[in-house]
Formats: sequence, C-alpha cells, structure tokens
Amino acid sequence: MAILEVEDLKVYFPIKAGILNRTVDHVKAVDGVSFSIEQGKTYGLVGESGSGKTTTGRAVIGLESIYSGKVSFNGTDITNFGRENSALRKDVQMIFQDPYSSLNPRKRVLDIISEPLRNFEKLSKTEEKKRVQELLEIVGLSPESILKYPHEFSGGQRQRIGIARAIALKPKLIIADEPVSALDVSVQAQVLNFMQDIQKELNLTYLFISHDLGIVKHMCDDIAIMYKGRYVEQGTITDIFNNPQHIYTKRLVSAIPDINPRNREKQYRIRQEVQREYANSFNDYFDSEGLAYGLQPVSDTHLVALPERG
Amino acid sequence: MEVNNANLANQIQDPTKSPSGLKILWKEIVRDKLALISLILLVLITVFVYGTAVVLDQDEIVRVDLFAIHEPPSEEFILGTDYGGRDVFGQLIIGTRNSLSIGFLVTAISGIFGIAFGLIAGYFGGYTDNALMRVLDFFQVLPFTMLVIVFVSIVPNYTILAFSIIMAAFNWMGIARLIRSKALQEKELDYVQASKTLGTSHTKIIFREVMPNISSLIIVTMTLNLAANIGIESGLSFLGFGFPESTPSLGTLLSYATNPQTLEYRWWIWVPAAVLILIMMLMIRNVGEALRRATDARQRRG
Repeated sequence: MAILEVEDLKVYFPIKAGILNRTVDHVKAVDGVSFSIEQGKTYGLVGESGSGKTTTGRAVIGLESIYSGKVSFNGTDITNFGRENSALRKDVQMIFQDPYSSLNPRKRVLDIISEPLRNFEKLSKTEEKKRVQELLEIVGLSPESILKYPHEFSGGQRQRIGIARAIALKPKLIIADEPVSALDVSVQAQVLNFMQDIQKELNLTYLFISHDLGIVKHMCDDIAIMYKGRYVEQGTITDIFNNPQHIYTKRLVSAIPDINPRNREKQYRIRQEVQREYANSFNDYFDSEGLAYGLQPVSDTHLVALPERG
Repeated sequence: MEVNNANLANQIQDPTKSPSGLKILWKEIVRDKLALISLILLVLITVFVYGTAVVLDQDEIVRVDLFAIHEPPSEEFILGTDYGGRDVFGQLIIGTRNSLSIGFLVTAISGIFGIAFGLIAGYFGGYTDNALMRVLDFFQVLPFTMLVIVFVSIVPNYTILAFSIIMAAFNWMGIARLIRSKALQEKELDYVQASKTLGTSHTKIIFREVMPNISSLIIVTMTLNLAANIGIESGLSFLGFGFPESTPSLGTLLSYATNPQTLEYRWWIWVPAAVLILIMMLMIRNVGEALRRATDARQRRG
C-alpha cells in the first residue's frame, strides 16, 4: 500500500484587489497534482523555479493551506495537517532547502535536535543528550558539537544538523525540499549518499524535490516533471530519461551535460533539434494558456500530459 | 570526514561549558568602559536611593516648616529647603525612588503587554493581526496626556502602582507595533516553519523561538522606554498631574522651577533633580547600547 497518496491537490493563492480588497483571481501554484509513493521509495519532483514543486511539498506537510484535493498518509486523511493528526507529525518530517535559515540561530545544536524529542517523547536530560549525540554521530558530526551554535558550522554541516533533526523521531516519510541546492558540489554528494544510507537503515520514504536532473537520477525511483503547477510527465527513472514523451521533458533531458567531450558536437546538434521541435510544436503540447494538458497513460508506469486524440 | 571531526574537536576547548546568554551580556558591558561606569553608577544610585528611603521618614520630610522657608544649602539642610521649609535633599532621595519605581513598573507592564500583543498579532497574521491592530489603532488615537490626567483625577486610591498602570495602559502601543513588524518578518523564516513541522505548539514557537530572536530589539526598546517613562512621569508631575507634594518625585521638584524667583535665585531646589534626570537617562542609554551590541554576535566587543 502506498504510504503517501495525493489526489488532485490544488494550492491557490488569492490575488486581492480593489477598495474592498476582494479576491479577484487566484495564482494556481499547484493545479491538480496526484501521485502516490510506496514505502521505502524515493519520489522525485522536478521542475523549473515557480513550477510549484516546493509548494506541493509544503502543502503535504501542512505549511500551505490546501485549496482542494486530498492528502492521505498510510490511509489517514491529513489534508488539514495543521489542526488535526498531531500524532502523525512524528511520521512526516521535512528537510529544508536553506541550511542557513532553517536552524534557529539562538539555539544550541542540542536544543535544535532535541526539539522534536521534547515535543513527542518524554526523555530525561541525560537520555536526551545521549540521543542527540547518537543522531549527530549518524549524520557524521562530532558528538561534542552539541553545545555549539549553528553559526559555528559550515553549510554542509548545518544541513546535516537539519537532517539529524528530521530523523530524530524516526519518521516514515521525509519531504526533502532541495536539500542540497545550497551546498557545494563536493558536499552535495556527501549529503546525498548519506541520505541514501539512512534511507536503507531506517526504511525511509522520500519525497525529493529538486531542479537538478542529475541528482534526481541518482536518488529517485519514480519522478514527475512539473510545469506551471501541473504535471507534464510522470514515470520511473527509465521512462523519463530513456523515453521522454513530452516536449518539455525532452528539452530538460537534453539539457543534462554529457561528461564525454567527444560527444560535444552530437549533444549540441541534439539540443538544437529539440529546441527547434519545442518552438514548432509548443502549441501541440500546451493548451491556449500555455498550461499542460491532463495526463494520458503511455504504459503502466508512464503518464504524459498530451491532448486527447480523436 | 575524519579530518573534519578532528578539527571540530580541536575547536572545542571546554566541551562541558558554553557561554550562557547572561554571561555574554555581562562580558559586553565589562568590555565597554562607559557602559560599565554607567551601570555601576546606576546601581549605586538605585541602591543608595532605595536604601536611604527606608531610613528616611517621608512624613517628616514633607512636613511644612514655616521657620525654614527657602533656606540655602547648609549643614542642617544639605540642599536647602523649598517654599514650605521642606528638606530638598530628602525629597530628592524619595523623589528619585518614586520616579525610578514608576519608570520600572511602567516599562515592565507596558513592555510585557506590548510584546505579547505584538508577537501574537505578527505571528498569526491575517485576520488576527487585522483585528488586533485595529484595537491598537483605537488606543493610539486616544489623547494620551488628557486621558492620563482624567484617570489620575478620578482614581480613588492614588498609589505608585495605580499611576503606573494608568500610564502603561496608554503606553504599550509603540512597542507592540515595533514587535509586530519584526515578528511578521521572523515568522516567514524557515526555522519557524521547521518548528511547525516538528510539532511545536504555537505558544512555544512564539515565546521560545521567535521572541529570543528579536530579543535585541526588545532589550533596546525596553531600556530606551525606561528612560522615556521616567521622563514622562517627570513631565506629568511637572504639569501638576503626577503626585501631590506630599509624595515627592523628580518631576514635583522640577516643577518648583515654574516660579521665576525659584528658577533664578534658588537653584538648589531644582538643579539637583534636573541633573539627576539627565544623568540617569544618559546612563540607562549607555547600558542599553552595550546590551544591544551584546545581543548581536557581529557587533560584540567582548
């Protein structure tokens, strides 16, 4: 059974105008997104900035209010996460994009990592300290750092503290919102490999939000491409990378740099060709407002947003 | 990784201790000589004033003695006497105590209320913010001086506490507005969002996460408010709406200067009070500045 199921999720932000400050229109940040994730898998959400991928993640964990749609976790409805289901908070955690603002600068590492423990588990001071030190060891930081403040760490180390906090309650699902986009490339690999290690160890499920296709290919089992709040294409890694159907996906995939310099000319030609196709057939793949169509199945796992034929 | 950990371990000299907030504040004040001198003087004045006031008999000091009117400073009266033959030095001590008490009380009451109000309005935002801010606007358009004067004249039991509450009731809006604007900024930061996802309650987030992060603002405003509140009290007493002459304050002493004769020829009645107000405000400001620097790690000298 799927651990997380999202049905027709819509997150709209009102546009207010006029003297009475009435809602005249909505920004459709997420417009009818559905997906499900199996336990222990990693589901990638890819898209350009403003495509609604982060908003989707934040809506799932209850940081954005949901306009319509349904989110269920392990069969329980968590659409109104903010008010109800506080016990389920334990099982769904989030890793934030910016390691510089996601840690309270006034708190020591001990207090930061033990915050979830204090909320959900009644531990004595010594037990708590031991748990935090264990967690720090898991994320590869020195257990002596518990009395330091966040500003004494580098970006990569801070992100590890954020991860330690997210896994402190042994959650089942972690929403990772561009967890490495603020880090150096060398540190990115470290953090990503580490995330995969703890995934195996704790049987975690990830909702992995990223704009970096290379990272997504490395991390995920299934991915979805988003554009302007809608899904463009959804499928397994092989579906998307070897058999992209939608012109937008093709363009994204062709943009991945090839490490072999001999292919440079070939890559350039492919890119040119895809670009030409994109310009020519834009209207076939997007409706009059420039939005993607509804998803049509291509195979059991592969869905593409194509206009209905016939 | 190994190297990294070794480096980290080296950086920690004493893993059992890390400087607490109070220690940092203290270190900063010690490093800033002006603030240190100010704080010592301020503490000395406060201790001296509160200590002596216990010994002094207020009724004895404010008793009118027609045989000792307008005495200049002498052995018997260190700072001379006023038009009622009352000892100015004794009045100065008790007056400073009263003024300080009112200053502290007003700052504390209006501060606690204003901070809570501003934090709640800013943190929740939306309708809560709108409703609370309209209440605040209502209070802000009320004429402060007039209302304080009205309340002061109708309150049956006119004590320091009563006066402080009246003043605080019309004095919390500024700090509330300031704190709200900061809270609005702060709640958008990821660490507040993170706390929400970690299941921390709103109350805890407001007072344990957001409030410590705007503590520098709180400390500076509170300190400056303390100086301002002492000033407002003196001003009201100067106008004759503070305490009666039977309860001296720095303002009542100053108000003797409204008499041109006193202003020109009897300096001993009003100069000490004026100088004391000036010195105390300057010292409070110096300490406040040092505290402000201490709360921001980048500006610290200590």
